[in-house]
Amino acid sequence: MTARHSVAISAALMAVLLSAPNIAGQENRPSNGASAKAGYLQPRTPDGQPDIRGFWHIVPFGTYSLQDMSLQGLGAGDFSTKLPGGSRIVDPPDGKIPYQPWAAAKAKDINDHHMDPKPYQLDPQARCWLQGVPRGTLQSESHVVQTPGQIVILHDYSHSYRVIPLDNRPKLPEHMKLFMGESRGRWEGNTLVIDTTNLNDIPWFDIVGSFHSDAIRVAERLTRIDDETLEYLATVEDTKMYTRPWTMRFTMKRNTEPGYEQWEHACYEGERSLHRLLARPDSGR
Amino acid sequence: MCPSLTPQRRAIPTRSFFAGLGIAAASIVFLTMPYEVAGQSSGTTLARTSDGHPDLTGIWQAVNSAAWDLEPHVAQPDMPAGIGAIDGDQIPYTAAALAKKKENYKNRAALDPDGKCFLPGVPRVMYMPFPFQIVQTPTQLTMLFEYVHTVRNIFMNTPHPRGPIEWWMGDSRGRWEGDTLVVDVVHFNADTWLDKAGNFHTEEMHLVERFTPNGPDHIDYEVTIEDPKVFTRPWKISMILYRHKEKNLRLLEYECYSFEGAEIYKPIHTP
Repeated sequence: MTARHSVAISAALMAVLLSAPNIAGQENRPSNGASAKAGYLQPRTPDGQPDIRGFWHIVPFGTYSLQDMSLQGLGAGDFSTKLPGGSRIVDPPDGKIPYQPWAAAKAKDINDHHMDPKPYQLDPQARCWLQGVPRGTLQSESHVVQTPGQIVILHDYSHSYRVIPLDNRPKLPEHMKLFMGESRGRWEGNTLVIDTTNLNDIPWFDIVGSFHSDAIRVAERLTRIDDETLEYLATVEDTKMYTRPWTMRFTMKRNTEPGYEQWEHACYEGERSLHRLLARPDSGR
Repeated sequence: MCPSLTPQRRAIPTRSFFAGLGIAAASIVFLTMPYEVAGQSSGTTLARTSDGHPDLTGIWQAVNSAAWDLEPHVAQPDMPAGIGAIDGDQIPYTAAALAKKKENYKNRAALDPDGKCFLPGVPRVMYMPFPFQIVQTPTQLTMLFEYVHTVRNIFMNTPHPRGPIEWWMGDSRGRWEGDTLVVDVVHFNADTWLDKAGNFHTEEMHLVERFTPNGPDHIDYEVTIEDPKVFTRPWKISMILYRHKEKNLRLLEYECYSFEGAEIYKPIHTP
């Protein structure tokens, strides 16, 4: 994957690498949850949790557009490459984020100008800011660590992380907003359910401006269906921004390279492209 | 003065005293344990992982002024005073390196890499005034820091990758020596400092860190620092890491370089 020699790679180059169309085809399946393949015996961790430890990456890789997978080729800098179209969004059935009208106008404005942006039209990820939830999972490979009472997710990109307690300890006050939010996890059978609140409004879901407010709540469901595969669902609610909750779904594959280690990805320290990305004469920055 | 006299070292004469009396070994263990426990903040025994090593899981923080200046120093307007965290009074710089350190100190407000919000390097991140969380497994011990979501992955019982590599946080390889976690760190860049006072190193820096639990809520933290390009000999840092015990404490975020985010992106959140 991308971690090996990424000492000082610019944000823009990383966006290109991470959008590479390395896997063809995406299945859009019904959003009614996932269950293990017949006969698959879910392994357990030493403390008895269903075992989802390891390095996982989504297929197809890329974070260019949640709603139009054919744009992944653009992210790779290859305008001739077209992946099968379709959306990562499985509900509503049209694959579109159900914005309220005013928010749809904002999203269109960003989408129209994301290649030639003013500061507010530039993907915050290009600044190496924390990716939020679930962008961290979309953006790069994730190392899932399970220890008694908690799940820890170490994202490769910009070394962001999430600590997810598996209990109902009191949450932060509502006004405390964080890039990576406040998560609580629980196991429903073999499915890990993570509820996340207290997210700030800064990260986007993709490069072309799918965005949310600080009223967002995310419910993620992760189910290991065989040794190499996790099914991932995330339902997003945001009453300030959308007309209804919506759900994205994708598949994650396990990295089976023996001895693989996650190495330093110093995104902000190596960032050299912001001035070019914001080169528009009236960008003001 | 030497601030590195740790509780662990104070415990050693206790053992010697009883050994000198010729008491059977089993009795020494029995009799000295209360003395060692008395030197700790809590009377409970050390938690251990399933593989028998001390369980360092939890949220920790150094409580001292090493982040401002590792050497003993009086207060300045931008700096709380401190007795220092090094063995001896001064870091053993070469003459040329000492001149550079003095320049760094004079211009610290402008030159400190901390001002750019970059990854702070090791050992500096260990004593910055922010909490960090240890996530421990038999093969990897990960330290998560609140300061710019810094992460240290300490890979256990494996060799360093072949260099040259220059990483902000270096490459950390750990092993257990009894109850002490020993971490060997190399592959640094030369762009981080050791504190706000301009103490510095080069890409040749080699660290050996020793984390020794001193009861359930304290870790004696000792670092041996070598860098032949700037120091005349290896030297040591030592301090105590304290366990946070506040109810429901969690790491928050200090996203140093994105504080202006709400302002930049205001136009898209305003109907």
